[in-house]
Amino acid sequence: MSIKSTLNDSNKPLVCVPGQRLCLLDNEHVSGNGTYEHQGYIHSSLAGIVKISEKTENNVKRNLIEVHGINEQSIVPAPGDIVTAKVMVLNQRYCKCLIKCIGDVVLSRPYRAILRKEDIRATDKDRIDVYKCYRPGDIILARVLPLTEIHSYQLSTAESELGVVIAHSDAGVPMIPISWTEMQCPKTHNKEPRKVARIVPENAPV
Amino acid sequence: MLTSKTFLRKTKRGNVLKIVREHYLRDDIGCGSKVCKKCAILVEEQEAVLDDQLPDALSKAYKNPHYLIVDTNVVLHQIDVLEADVLCNVIILQTVLEEVKHRSSTIYKRLKDIINDKRRKFYVFVNEHHKDTYLEREAGETANDRNDRAIRVAVKWYDLHLSASQAHVSAKKRIRIVLLTDDAANCEKATKEGLFAASVEDYVCCLKDSKGLEDKISRSESHFDEGSKEIFPCHLTPVQIHDGVKSGKLLQGSFQASRENFLEGQVSVESFEKPILVQGYDGLNRAVDGDVVAVELLPEDQWSAPSEIVLQNDEVEDEEEIVEKVLKVETKQEKTPTGKIVGIIRRKWRQYCGILQHNALQNTTRHIFVPAERKIPKIRIETRQAPTLMEKRIIVAIDSWSRYSRYPSGHFVRALGKIGDKETENEVLLLEHDVPHSRFSEKVLSFLPKLPWIITDEDVAKRTDLRHLDVCSVDPPGCTDIDDALHCFQKPNGNYEVGVHIADVSHFIRPGTALDDEAALRATTVYLVDKRIDMVPDLLSSNLCSLKGGEERFAFSCVWELTPNAQIVGTRFHKSIIRSRAALTYEEAQLIIDDDKQQTSVAKSLRGLNKLAKVLKKRRIENGALVLASPEIRFYIDSETHDPIEVQAKQIRETNSMVEEFMLLANISVAEKIFAEFPEHAILRRHPIPPPSNFEPLVKAANYLGFEMNTNSNKELAESLDAAVKEGNAYFNTMLRILATRCMLQAVYFSSGVVTKEDFYHYGLAVPIYTHFTSPIRRYADILVHRLLAACIGADVTYPDLLDKKKMNNICHNLNYRNRMAQYAGRASVALHTHIFFREKVQNEEGYVLFVRKNALQILIPKYGLEGTLYLYPPKGMKQEVSFVYNEENHTQSYKNIVFHMFDPVTVQLTLDRSNIQHEKLVFKLVKPFIPNFSVSSIDEESKENVTRVEENVSEECGDKAGTSRNPVVLQQMKRKDEDFRSKDSSRKKKHKK
Amino acid sequence: MDLVSDQGLRIDGRRPKELRKIRCKLGVFAQPEGSAYLEQGNTKVLAAVYGPHQVRNRSKALHDAAVVNCQYSMATFSTFERKRRPRGDIKSTEMTLHLKQAMQASIKTELYPYSQIDIYLEVLQADGGNYCACVNAATLALVDAGIPLKEYVIGCTASLGNGDVPLIDVSHLEETMGGSNLTVAVLPLSGQIAVLEMSQKFHVDHLSLVLNEALDGCRRIYEILNDTVKNHLSEIGAISGWGKSDL
Repeated sequence: MSIKSTLNDSNKPLVCVPGQRLCLLDNEHVSGNGTYEHQGYIHSSLAGIVKISEKTENNVKRNLIEVHGINEQSIVPAPGDIVTAKVMVLNQRYCKCLIKCIGDVVLSRPYRAILRKEDIRATDKDRIDVYKCYRPGDIILARVLPLTEIHSYQLSTAESELGVVIAHSDAGVPMIPISWTEMQCPKTHNKEPRKVARIVPENAPV
Repeated sequence: MLTSKTFLRKTKRGNVLKIVREHYLRDDIGCGSKVCKKCAILVEEQEAVLDDQLPDALSKAYKNPHYLIVDTNVVLHQIDVLEADVLCNVIILQTVLEEVKHRSSTIYKRLKDIINDKRRKFYVFVNEHHKDTYLEREAGETANDRNDRAIRVAVKWYDLHLSASQAHVSAKKRIRIVLLTDDAANCEKATKEGLFAASVEDYVCCLKDSKGLEDKISRSESHFDEGSKEIFPCHLTPVQIHDGVKSGKLLQGSFQASRENFLEGQVSVESFEKPILVQGYDGLNRAVDGDVVAVELLPEDQWSAPSEIVLQNDEVEDEEEIVEKVLKVETKQEKTPTGKIVGIIRRKWRQYCGILQHNALQNTTRHIFVPAERKIPKIRIETRQAPTLMEKRIIVAIDSWSRYSRYPSGHFVRALGKIGDKETENEVLLLEHDVPHSRFSEKVLSFLPKLPWIITDEDVAKRTDLRHLDVCSVDPPGCTDIDDALHCFQKPNGNYEVGVHIADVSHFIRPGTALDDEAALRATTVYLVDKRIDMVPDLLSSNLCSLKGGEERFAFSCVWELTPNAQIVGTRFHKSIIRSRAALTYEEAQLIIDDDKQQTSVAKSLRGLNKLAKVLKKRRIENGALVLASPEIRFYIDSETHDPIEVQAKQIRETNSMVEEFMLLANISVAEKIFAEFPEHAILRRHPIPPPSNFEPLVKAANYLGFEMNTNSNKELAESLDAAVKEGNAYFNTMLRILATRCMLQAVYFSSGVVTKEDFYHYGLAVPIYTHFTSPIRRYADILVHRLLAACIGADVTYPDLLDKKKMNNICHNLNYRNRMAQYAGRASVALHTHIFFREKVQNEEGYVLFVRKNALQILIPKYGLEGTLYLYPPKGMKQEVSFVYNEENHTQSYKNIVFHMFDPVTVQLTLDRSNIQHEKLVFKLVKPFIPNFSVSSIDEESKENVTRVEENVSEECGDKAGTSRNPVVLQQMKRKDEDFRSKDSSRKKKHKK
Repeated sequence: MDLVSDQGLRIDGRRPKELRKIRCKLGVFAQPEGSAYLEQGNTKVLAAVYGPHQVRNRSKALHDAAVVNCQYSMATFSTFERKRRPRGDIKSTEMTLHLKQAMQASIKTELYPYSQIDIYLEVLQADGGNYCACVNAATLALVDAGIPLKEYVIGCTASLGNGDVPLIDVSHLEETMGGSNLTVAVLPLSGQIAVLEMSQKFHVDHLSLVLNEALDGCRRIYEILNDTVKNHLSEIGAISGWGKSDL
């Protein structure tokens, strides 16, 4: 059963429902998001439209079958994802954060996460002062670590691209990063220590 | 299409609930007429029932061929008109069908039977769910009005719908609809809308060929108002009754009329131990025997007692006198709660057999009908066929009873046959006792096995082969349905192996077949004196199931190993094949046992059985089993005329008791087994312990005669009965036992899930658990027990209905009802034949005084098992020189120095008074002790002549009818009753039931 | 009283194998992730799905699957007489467990470790077949929420009328008056039974008959729900441009 052809024929996308059989599972077709395999067939597990994309792997052309639902998919932080979190509570050993976005997807309901002291920076782990890296209310980019504890997710900002993205000063004004470890308030010109993320601007020259 | 029905309902607690139900409207309901092409395409499965070719002009009033639609009241009141074969092509609307079901289940059942009869062409149109004919109730409209409107809308729809298919037919020949309704308002509205409508009377009278249908029309009350004299008080409205019962002011119960006194009756209310007495016209207030009534208790100072006199309706002329007689209370009599009936909750009217009373007036259509059952009052009917019906037994149904009329009014249903004719009388008997006696239908017979029937190897593989055993059966002479056989031999270890083999009826009657349904309906074989109404067709009962001598037959065996002291060591059950060596009579078996020269295995078997049976019996008596008595007789029937020639009392031999003991043992063993496997679904039989009040007559009677009766337990009662012997009066003890039998309650079938284990007890047999297993040919309960037992041993599977408690409960109710009716029918048949026997005879017989009453003595004649009344006071208007004195305390009647006590021997002269054709009475006249001017002289010589002369006349008198065999047939009337009675459960003489 | 008349119609006019009128709508609420409203005859049920989100009760979290949490509640006005306890009584608790069992059979929980999916069901009007309507509504709500499912879970009841005529989709009146009822929750395409419940004993002869009818009923309900979902998707999807713009 080749869906690709049907897709090309009509302009209307193919709507599918959970449990609908999409195609045979063989070398040419691979199941992607929103699908599962059962008894040698690929079935859809969401209600939405079928998207087929070509993927080349080891010089073998395969079709990746995915189903995209209409709503934003409920996403759960998986290990390795880059997430946007807000720092809530600070402690000498760790800080509690609330994951607001996973990748590009904004979550309607935030997840709790913990950022341990040792995971804030890659180097010099012992002599970190958490207060000098983050403050409550900061928005940070972090990566989700493989899950160990059951209660909450573990984050790590031990990379240069991770760290504080937006921070507000005591005056309540968003601060501007001046170095990897400091940010300055434009109003009061106060400098505050933070672990700043190295964000590559989108329209920056590569 | 979906609408919803909303209505409000009140719960028992008084809350008001709003009920919302879905109501789907369909477009796939056909009109049922063969004319209509649209519906034929639309609905393929439904059969078009209504004819397309109708004879023109059935009716003078309506020239078009037409179908009829009937209104609810027409169905309820004129069901006899509908049942008659005249009207065809009738449409019953769903509205009407449901209303009828709601109002009267008997009429509903009859209507359903008519609908199912394809020849009558009745079609049920589901108008409530048809999208074009569904109506909603308008504001301010009552439910009745709405239903009437729905009926009119349906009629109109039909007219339009049919005319659409008949466009090619001329208007005069088109099939139209006529609405039959007795409601004048409805008729008017319908005619206004352009529909044909008529009342039943008008329609029937206009029919060209009514075939006597007019007589069956039930008229409204206004016809029979005699002036405006109010005889009865008004009935309360249903709402008032309901409120009264709820508040406790009124009581609900069922009314039983008194057989002796037509102005008296009693209402049995659940919460009261004793029934409430009702007397007089006011008290009875138009209640008919069997009705559910609402009764109001009178204040204690107005309480009365049941009158001791016997009062018949025909003797009465003057009302004042009756009332006085009835209500005169003996001051010494115990007063019982008395009340008056204020309303009828549910009528239990049925069809009644009887005759027309002679009418002095000529050329009138109004007649009085006298029912055969004394408890039912006379009925007024209108009929044009009176001259032909005068000498016939007819069936009449009651329609109504107005306040202004002394008798209820009804209508004629059909005629049976000439009065006094044995066939007719038998028919009346069977109808009055609701015994299904029609021939087995084709459908039922189709389930019988095909002949020749042989035992295949397959059968042998599935069953235990016991053909090597020396089995024999012992039954009354002339018995064709042999359902039990026995064998016995001594084992090497000194124990005996005894086997009881019962005919395997459940192999032939499979559940769910028409044969099974018919057997379940009949529930038992009914034994009349000259006829036997079989429960199962003859092929099975007398041939394939019957364990005939020398034939191989299927059986269900129960085999025990017994010690010489008759203790059970082990029990086995299996489905088997047997070959009976001999089918003996009780007498033959007794002879074999007594004859020492007989040493065959059968003889040894019989002796072994006899020995063990005696041990078993002794043990039962020790446990408290009762040995009761009832006067049992047997008629000898002349082979040509089939009239009773001679009557003989039964002889009881050892062999009767032998068979009986093992049947009991088998029943008990089976009961234990099925109860162990199916604790919730076993069909068992129990005999409830009679309440102490039941024994009062027995205890009182014994006391008068100086004996004490201990009724605390069955054992003590048995001992008291054994001890009560009078020197010189051999029949005395038997009389006491007869009385004791009448105190017993009926034994009943029940399903074990419904009753607690303590209540399984069988009082008469003194066993904790009992069932019926040994006579499946003539009892349906035994078939059910066979099925359960077969499932226990893995020889057969259960089926859903067998394990459905509700259904089994209903079946048990039916079994108990039919058994009761069969007993009454049997007794009535005996009474009938006794009367026939005594026609033209005058005989002197010996008897005993059974009861002493205020104005009469009840005499029992043991030879015929007859009971009758010897009046001590002259009939009205006549004088008598001899006057008796009634002594209440001692219960004696005396004249000068002659005293009559209970159980005194007397000699009486019996004659048959045939002045009342329907109720021939045996007249008793005293012969000995001789009282001048009262007793009649013994007319021995005369009577002897009369007897011989009469025998020649007897054949002329009664018509001869087809019989069963050429030889003088000795009635097996008592055969089965014998066994049952000997088993001390429901004996025929048990009158009381609570 | 007969549940099936001689003319082959039930009390409310349906034939024995006909279902009641089903009306359903997806996405009736904005706040929950997914919601649905389902009417089966006079039984009306609302379902709302929240999740997957972080487990509230930390001790109950599973490390490899999502926890499915159901709550079944009957509005006080849903039955003939006012119910005093909407949830927490024995019957509701039992229903909750059965619903959980049914939904767990189909949700692909292994995709969401350490999280929780909440399904809330509210019965607005109860007229027989409450459990089935809830299962169906929950399925629709889950589909609306975009939670991956193996398949739809469809529920249907069946019973016997007059002792031997199988009836499908029994209403409250038929439930109380008739004999035993069989309730089944099934994954229709693969034919797997998630939940099967009998209210009383059935005779062995009848069981397979009734079960087959119930399964057949489930298949037909599946068709109806499927159509609704597809219509909904086409409408909504077209309007919102099928989610993200870059796809």
